[in-house]
Amino acid sequence: MADYRVVGKGIPRKDSIEKITGQAKYTFDIVLPEMLHAKILRSLHAHAKIANIDTSEAEKLPGVKAVITGKDTWGMRFGFVDTPRYPCEQPVIAEDKVRFIGESVAAVAAVDENTANEALDLIEIEYEPIPAVFDPEEAMKEGAPQIHGEQIPAPGRKCAWQDWGVARVARSYNPVNNIGATVNLSYGDSEKGFAEAEYIREDTWVIPRTNHTAMEPHGAVASYNPLTGYLDVWLSHMGYELKRYWISKTLGIPISKIRVHKTFIGGAFGGKAQVFDHEIIASFLSRKTGKPVKLILPRDEVFTSTNNSIALKINVKKGVKKDGTIVGQHVKLISDMGAYRGSVPVCLFLCHSMRDAIYNIPNLTHDGVGAYTNKSTTMAKRGHGSQQMTTAIESQMDWIAEDLGLDPVEFRLKNLRQKGDVLPNRDTLNSYGLPDCIKKIVEASNWKEKRGKLGPGRGIGLAVSAMFNGSGYWPFTAGSIVRMNHDGTVTLYIGQAEFGQGPTTTTCQLVAEELGLNVEDVNLVDGDSELCPIDYSNWLSGGMFVSCKAGLVAAQDLRQQILKVAAEMLEEDVEDLEAMNRRVYIKTDPEEGVAFDEILRYSIQKHAGDLLMGKGFCKPVPEIEFYPSLSKGSGRWTDAYSFTASIAEVSVDAETGRTKVDHIWIGDDCGREINTAICEGQLQSQAVMGMGDALFEEVMFSEGRTINANFVDYEIPRAFDIPEITTIDASDPDPNGPFGAKEIGECARAAVIGSIVNAVYDATKVKITSLPLHPEKIFRGLKEKAKS
Amino acid sequence: MELAKKLIKVAVNGESRELWIKQNITLLDLLRDYLGLTGAKLACISNSCGACTVIVDDMAVKSCSVLAMQVDGKEVFTVEGLAKGKKLHPLQQAFIEHVAFQCGFCTPGKLMSAKALLDENPNPTEEELRRDMEGNLCRCTGYKKYIEAIMDVAQHPEKYSAKEG
Amino acid sequence: MREFEYLRVNTLKEACSLLSEYKEEARILAGGQSLLTLLKMNMLSPSYLIDIKFIPELDYMDFDEKEGLKMGALTTHRAVEKSPLLKEKFPVLPETELVVASVQTRNWGTIGGTLVHADPIGDIAPTLIVLDSKAKFTSVSGERTISLTELFVDFFATVIEEDEILCEIQIPTLPAHTGVAYQKFSTIEAGIKIAGAASLISLEGGICKDAKIALSAVAPVPIRALKAEEMLRGKPVDDKLIEQAAQIASTEADPVTDMHATDEYRRELVKVLVRRATKTALERAKAT
Repeated sequence: MADYRVVGKGIPRKDSIEKITGQAKYTFDIVLPEMLHAKILRSLHAHAKIANIDTSEAEKLPGVKAVITGKDTWGMRFGFVDTPRYPCEQPVIAEDKVRFIGESVAAVAAVDENTANEALDLIEIEYEPIPAVFDPEEAMKEGAPQIHGEQIPAPGRKCAWQDWGVARVARSYNPVNNIGATVNLSYGDSEKGFAEAEYIREDTWVIPRTNHTAMEPHGAVASYNPLTGYLDVWLSHMGYELKRYWISKTLGIPISKIRVHKTFIGGAFGGKAQVFDHEIIASFLSRKTGKPVKLILPRDEVFTSTNNSIALKINVKKGVKKDGTIVGQHVKLISDMGAYRGSVPVCLFLCHSMRDAIYNIPNLTHDGVGAYTNKSTTMAKRGHGSQQMTTAIESQMDWIAEDLGLDPVEFRLKNLRQKGDVLPNRDTLNSYGLPDCIKKIVEASNWKEKRGKLGPGRGIGLAVSAMFNGSGYWPFTAGSIVRMNHDGTVTLYIGQAEFGQGPTTTTCQLVAEELGLNVEDVNLVDGDSELCPIDYSNWLSGGMFVSCKAGLVAAQDLRQQILKVAAEMLEEDVEDLEAMNRRVYIKTDPEEGVAFDEILRYSIQKHAGDLLMGKGFCKPVPEIEFYPSLSKGSGRWTDAYSFTASIAEVSVDAETGRTKVDHIWIGDDCGREINTAICEGQLQSQAVMGMGDALFEEVMFSEGRTINANFVDYEIPRAFDIPEITTIDASDPDPNGPFGAKEIGECARAAVIGSIVNAVYDATKVKITSLPLHPEKIFRGLKEKAKS
Repeated sequence: MELAKKLIKVAVNGESRELWIKQNITLLDLLRDYLGLTGAKLACISNSCGACTVIVDDMAVKSCSVLAMQVDGKEVFTVEGLAKGKKLHPLQQAFIEHVAFQCGFCTPGKLMSAKALLDENPNPTEEELRRDMEGNLCRCTGYKKYIEAIMDVAQHPEKYSAKEG
Repeated sequence: MREFEYLRVNTLKEACSLLSEYKEEARILAGGQSLLTLLKMNMLSPSYLIDIKFIPELDYMDFDEKEGLKMGALTTHRAVEKSPLLKEKFPVLPETELVVASVQTRNWGTIGGTLVHADPIGDIAPTLIVLDSKAKFTSVSGERTISLTELFVDFFATVIEEDEILCEIQIPTLPAHTGVAYQKFSTIEAGIKIAGAASLISLEGGICKDAKIALSAVAPVPIRALKAEEMLRGKPVDDKLIEQAAQIASTEADPVTDMHATDEYRRELVKVLVRRATKTALERAKAT
């Protein structure tokens, strides 16, 4: 690996001082003059007609400034997916019916929170409950209650992709049998593959919803100026462009008059990418009242009314030769979508695409369906399908290995793709560090000495995962500016949303490396849609590969400008010059040079005011214009994949079924670790989060009501629970990544979950095919096993 | 009819304050809404997350679950009181050097919990520390770097004697 | 929170007097670690909040070899956790406190407040019960003392009268050769408790002179497993007997099925926890 000055170092974060002094302002902290507080009234019914709403008493309460219902927002629709094939269908506030417990049915803006809450209690709603359905397979049966009876979309409405330039027109349609998303793709001939197989195994997994539980609750502050028509918003989000687009589309405010201010964001993990009803409602109320409006969701509403991770029933049928060569695979997915599509149409596709970069399977069929149910929506969570699929596939890999007497590591290595492979959708694996990830952790964990030899109640397991690096999605570009300052420092302008994952610090390192600067000399203007250029977003796994890269490209542009001027000043060729520590000098005579501030002055004076600004942009998958067919899985998707291999060692208390994770090893290929401390933090984070998924996290429902909508009953890992964690860099630089770098924030979680699942199986030999591996589940499994 | 406000005297970050406050507010409300000290956060409504942790009379408490009236006559320390001018508290320095935090939402609570713990027990074992930090939830980091940073301050105080920020 | 009149008192007498005046319109505030959550959710709306947290006469720990321990109801959980006196005389209490909520809650929350709140999954109650603790109440009418086993009547309900204040916990001196242990089961270390068991074994001449077993989170109140205790008393205690006692204890539990566990599983856990707690108590009894 090359040795860089700043890249590859674990330097402190750029936002350190704000965060450790309490000065960092999150949406949660924003206070504006004359600000009102808003609260949302939530449906108590899973499926009901709204016969009547009477807000008159609420409106009379002193201190109440506005009360709105579906009649105020009638016809407004939003959603994460809004394509010609899948037009969005969620109303901002429920109109003639409610479809899940927790759906917005009214909203109040008042002088303080207590008054707003009191006003909610005064709103009278007459519901006419109708039969509800909570299971996707029940929902798809004939005669099941139809959750979307009316046409989607309203005839004549343009979908988002039409706004973004796609020629195809959205067609109105009525969902049939509550089906809201499908994927059907295949290559080769899986039936032929099964016919050739010498061994076939079929398993079905059930993966429930989990919650992102970012520490900062969702919320918005909106301030509409009726005199200028400008809307200022502060959001807890993952990328401002999508939010601006949707607020503009629903409220009819020109997008250029919507400013998303920089906020620090208290975690996201995928759960804050989409626009939310509460964000549109806050903006609507501000416009209605002419005052700023703050709407922060209490924790229970974050559980019930934002989104959960995607629930899937996964059937995997695999055909192999006795020597372990995989010859065929058929995956069938059923998703419990919730009342609106969420990101399920994308997830059903990603379930295939992220796994496809790992194993070479010549004959493959992938079918999936998302069914509407009367629950809240589901959305990407850190891996977006990878976690669910990795659990199902990687556990089955171990069971096949066991059935055939194969070594589980060799079995995987045998079927891995190779660097340079072109996938069936024509993505190319220009970097492929997975074999190295596996080898390094097998060695570090002493796998060979442990597997099968740890003794009763102890086990060790391995799993692998992959993650893409950005794809074609509006606004299809990431932009950045790097400009020279009077004192020879530079300022980086980049719109990235910083919710803990460190992209702004990282981009400063890229810029500093490129310009020969210390990171302290790179000033940062970030996260503000008015001050920064078009931003790609930080939820499509393209933070590094697309967005940070734009910053690097801007720095490269500026460097060329600086060197050209310096060359003129020093009467040398550009190739003979070097930039270091705010100075350009002649390589062969370092004493001879000019400082950056001198270069700027010269450029301004001699080049008609040229003030030296570097411009950079980066388009994900430049050669495709829009997006591949998600439902058919054809077409290029991404330019690089990251990879992770994980090994977990566990102890299971046979008397109670309780699992303790003793150690997790992660071998990760992220192309190049730009900031080693941030990268380590991302992997440790995913190890702990994955442990939660594997062992105890689950959003639980009873007749559509979330029954564990708090941190007491929905448990997430705490400081005492964490295992030993060893992270190992096994990166394979990608030719298209900034300094070879790829994503690191999302890939590992899936591998960790799979490795814990496999380790628990190794310890207990109890076959469980649902998450989480709650102690009671394991206890029962052990008891059953003891009987037979 | 709104009940009358009551007067309390409380020292906040070393400064004596006399405040007329509503009786039905928490210490967290007092800090955030009356004094503009927004470091302490609210991440839950079930007294579970610890993001609101501050120090009252040398004890770490969850300010969302302490009635503001109860700090009458007491000393309250928040994250805003840790740094002195240009000098960061050793824990703050360690958190920065270890790159211990990510989104930062839970960080003020963690700092105050850690400060109270180390002030009482300057040499905890790692197990003691991890158990005592249970009351501070984090979703971003997996806790490891936080624990390492706090142990580093405990084991190598000379590294972190109040340095300039 | 709805509005209330906050009244801070400095003496127990003042507190009792106000309470007898306002009765059900008032609530006693000590640490508020349970009460404040209820107030914030508007599940309780008292007109008066009588703050007793700073009454000096209710915060003490006095030990006498004959009389045992007398602990003021305002003793915080953290004080119990850190007390050198308790570590010496009743080590199971500081040990139990390590798994009670979090440090922050323990710093401000009180033993008295926790007992009156009567959460069926509370950890300190079963331990105090096997220690044969008593609770003393005071009111304008006088005082009364009851065994802790009689304190709880239903989940979140005790026998406390509306004008009474819990003021003291009394724990008799442990006989020689007595060991006590507490076992808690939760999915994660500081997670919600699914089942808990406390066990006390007193030996005399190698025979079990006394056994007390208390179960929590497996009934609306912490309960004594009387049949299991009976099984152990008067006999030499070995692994086999402990196993039998554990089996019996599980039949005495009355658990529910909820989102965290089935009643069946809780019963199975009782067997495991009673066995482990009793074994540890026995080892400790032998060691003293």
